[in-house]
Amino acid sequence: MQKYDVAIFGAGIVGAFIFDTLTLKGLKCVLIDKGEDVCLGASKANSGIIHAGYDCARDTLKAKFNVLGNKMYPEIAKRLGEPIGECGSLVVGDKDSLLILTELLNRGMYNGVKNLEILDRSGLEKLEKNLNKNIAYGLYAKDAKIISPYHFTIALVEESLLNGGEIKLNYNVNSIQRQNDGYLISDGKENFMANYIVNACAEGVNEIGSLVGEPAIPLTYTKGEYVLLDKDEFGLACRPIFPTPTKNSKGILACPTVNGNTFFGPTAEDIKEYETSVTLSGINKIKTSILKMIDNVNFKRIIKLYAGVRVKTGDDFYINFNENKNYFVIAGICSPGLSAAPAIAEYVANSLIEKGLQVKAIKFTPRRPYTNILKLSNQELSNLIKKDKNYGDIVCNCEKVTKGEILEVLNRTPFKLTTDGIKRRLRVTMGRCQGSFCYPRLIKIMADYYNCDEKEICFRGKESLIVCDIKEGGIYAE
Amino acid sequence: MQNNYDIVVIGGGSAGLASAIKASKYGLKVAIIERDNKLGGILNQCIHNGFGLSYFKQELTGPEYANKFIQMLDGTNIDVYLNTTVLEIKKHFEILTISPKGLEKIVCKGIVLATGCRERPSGAINLCGSRPAGIISAGSAQKIVNLQGKMIGKDIVIVGSGDIGLIMARRLRFEGANVIGVYEIMPYPSGLKRNIVQCLDDYNIPLHLSKTVVEVVGKDRVKGVFVAPVKNDFSFDLDKREFIKCDTIVLSIGLTPSNELANQLGLKQNPLTNGCVVDEYLQTSTSGIFSCGNGLHVHDIVDNVTRESERAGENCAKYVLGQLNTTTPHSVYFGDGLRYVNPSVFYEGDEILTINFRSSKIYKNADIIVKSKDKEIRKINKKIILPAEMESVIISKKDIVGDLIVTIKEHKDE
Repeated sequence: MQKYDVAIFGAGIVGAFIFDTLTLKGLKCVLIDKGEDVCLGASKANSGIIHAGYDCARDTLKAKFNVLGNKMYPEIAKRLGEPIGECGSLVVGDKDSLLILTELLNRGMYNGVKNLEILDRSGLEKLEKNLNKNIAYGLYAKDAKIISPYHFTIALVEESLLNGGEIKLNYNVNSIQRQNDGYLISDGKENFMANYIVNACAEGVNEIGSLVGEPAIPLTYTKGEYVLLDKDEFGLACRPIFPTPTKNSKGILACPTVNGNTFFGPTAEDIKEYETSVTLSGINKIKTSILKMIDNVNFKRIIKLYAGVRVKTGDDFYINFNENKNYFVIAGICSPGLSAAPAIAEYVANSLIEKGLQVKAIKFTPRRPYTNILKLSNQELSNLIKKDKNYGDIVCNCEKVTKGEILEVLNRTPFKLTTDGIKRRLRVTMGRCQGSFCYPRLIKIMADYYNCDEKEICFRGKESLIVCDIKEGGIYAE
Repeated sequence: MQNNYDIVVIGGGSAGLASAIKASKYGLKVAIIERDNKLGGILNQCIHNGFGLSYFKQELTGPEYANKFIQMLDGTNIDVYLNTTVLEIKKHFEILTISPKGLEKIVCKGIVLATGCRERPSGAINLCGSRPAGIISAGSAQKIVNLQGKMIGKDIVIVGSGDIGLIMARRLRFEGANVIGVYEIMPYPSGLKRNIVQCLDDYNIPLHLSKTVVEVVGKDRVKGVFVAPVKNDFSFDLDKREFIKCDTIVLSIGLTPSNELANQLGLKQNPLTNGCVVDEYLQTSTSGIFSCGNGLHVHDIVDNVTRESERAGENCAKYVLGQLNTTTPHSVYFGDGLRYVNPSVFYEGDEILTINFRSSKIYKNADIIVKSKDKEIRKINKKIILPAEMESVIISKKDIVGDLIVTIKEHKDE
């Protein structure tokens, strides 16, 4: 039976970072998720901001890991070949906001955040062109950055797989038994062993916890709705622009993405059950808040609405290592979870090593980013097309994604992807037409690649079939 | 194929074909750049009939209509680049293309943008609720059913009453689907009257006006929708919302010109059409670049696209030959009752001037009035004017003394 040093449950950004960190330290790891892909929860629908760390309450895990994680990101981005926008962030407010901004600045300094500065209107205008006239002051945090949270999750998992990590998707674990020589993990079909269990399952944390015999952690859910704008609107906000925060939330922000879009959100609505629907009231809230902060907004250029859920447990992260059980639980990783994730992973790794796991040097295989024809010079692109003509065959016209790039991703991914999975990796169907031109062809290309019928291609989720067979006889068969 | 042309037409659909054929009649070297693997554009997936009634006095299907023009290419020396996408147009008319053959630079003297239009996405109407499989644009659905031989679902709700949505309602019904209804947010349909009759009425598919989908339900696949009446201020009457079980939502919520290249070139845009600002020759704000068809403003009938695009091709040829008269420009404005007007500029002369426009609402028994310096130069009485149907007025420029203004005036006595 296969035996691992560590089994990590939950393939979000936290699980991915832990998986990759441990694998690169030479530990034999397996990443497990019940979904058909990595990054299907909060990691695919959040603001993508690496916060500076001024917002976290003093002396919290959030503050500690956020500030540490922020510093780690540029090097990780370089290693993975993923873009990172070192654009800083702004918290802006009206003429009465100076006190709150000063408190944020002080808190930031206490938390160990450097490069914080309060700007007046003229200072702000040098950075942003579309601020509402009522905006008088802003806290400029130069260390804040933007990334694509799903690109990072996917890249981290890929890097780990290249370096000896293993992954089990669609794995619905139903028993975890402690035995003398480790845990026996099973879904009723496939069994394996692991010495340590890391539970990074967000909303599923208690499902794993109960199998290990741990008491349930009380969870609450906060839904954040977003609107995504056409690339034409890029530049409305050159960096994340937050309103002055309230007790519950950092507020609805305007933010660019590393791919050249702009988004507004998130709302912060407490919900009873985990669900990611978008609501009329949420969208209206976004519109009202943004107009108080940003001018020249054209809501007609919205191309997509989406939502993500922050799973919380209390005010801080919940990170606990049960050394008797060899069981790590990382729960309640809401904002600034993305910022904190690499530092949390380092902490988990160090704790496991202290406990006795042996670090081994590995022969590091770097992860090469996916080909992006728009990032190549004309000469490079010409050469690439000469080698493989599919790189000259544009499938997604809005985002200029070629058949070659799609086949490359299908080839590189060791599990069957959905159209949504392709979208997150390559931006096919993510542009201004949202796939109305290329979706049919994408389904065809995927079916051809997987040597299956088009009706077996899914959108997202197991029951998410897209097309079906034509009924013989049609209307006349009735 | 050479890389130097007099005229390059970007887009090989109905607009591109018509303008290229016309331009080549002037003895010029013309090329068509088409991103698909065949000419014809969206016509290829429009296998229903109703095309060509006005232009060919014949009832044709989309592919038949396209083929008429593709056959006309035989007598010309037009070069056709298939599977070829324009990546960039530089000033001085240097076009960079990508295709499976590689990158290519094409240099020319005049450009016709015939890039067609695209469908608005779900975000544009702020479609709320969940985001499962089973939400598909009408154009995608048409491609899947007509060209890829697959079905998109069983119980279907259609959002928006655009023409493709109406056509697809009937098409999906043909294939045995249960088309539950068409929901239109506006108090009037956005598709053509003939499509309402032939696609919905004839098949007992209900059209619900001032009613729309306010929430999508379903996790992996669509399980249903909530629909609600729309009030006069366009808010939703959520107290009267009702649940409709379905597995598929087809979006037919409007088309908008594909203006990426125009934007890249910095051509002046008309926010009312989302296409370029053009003069009477269909010339954009940059001399030598012309725009036509659905890439300029969305048409309802392909025959009109053809006619407009022929003018663009002709005028582009005249531009290259130095025969385009652009002295003494005047503006065309619009007043009450119009949503937009094309063109925005014309020049003094003695030819005829074609003015296209759409009304902002339904008018019954109304006059279309064209005035120049307070002098009424044309008045056309219409029994009905619909926003869904593009209107055009042809006037002789000889009668004109200055800027034009077009208005619609309803007869009070009804």
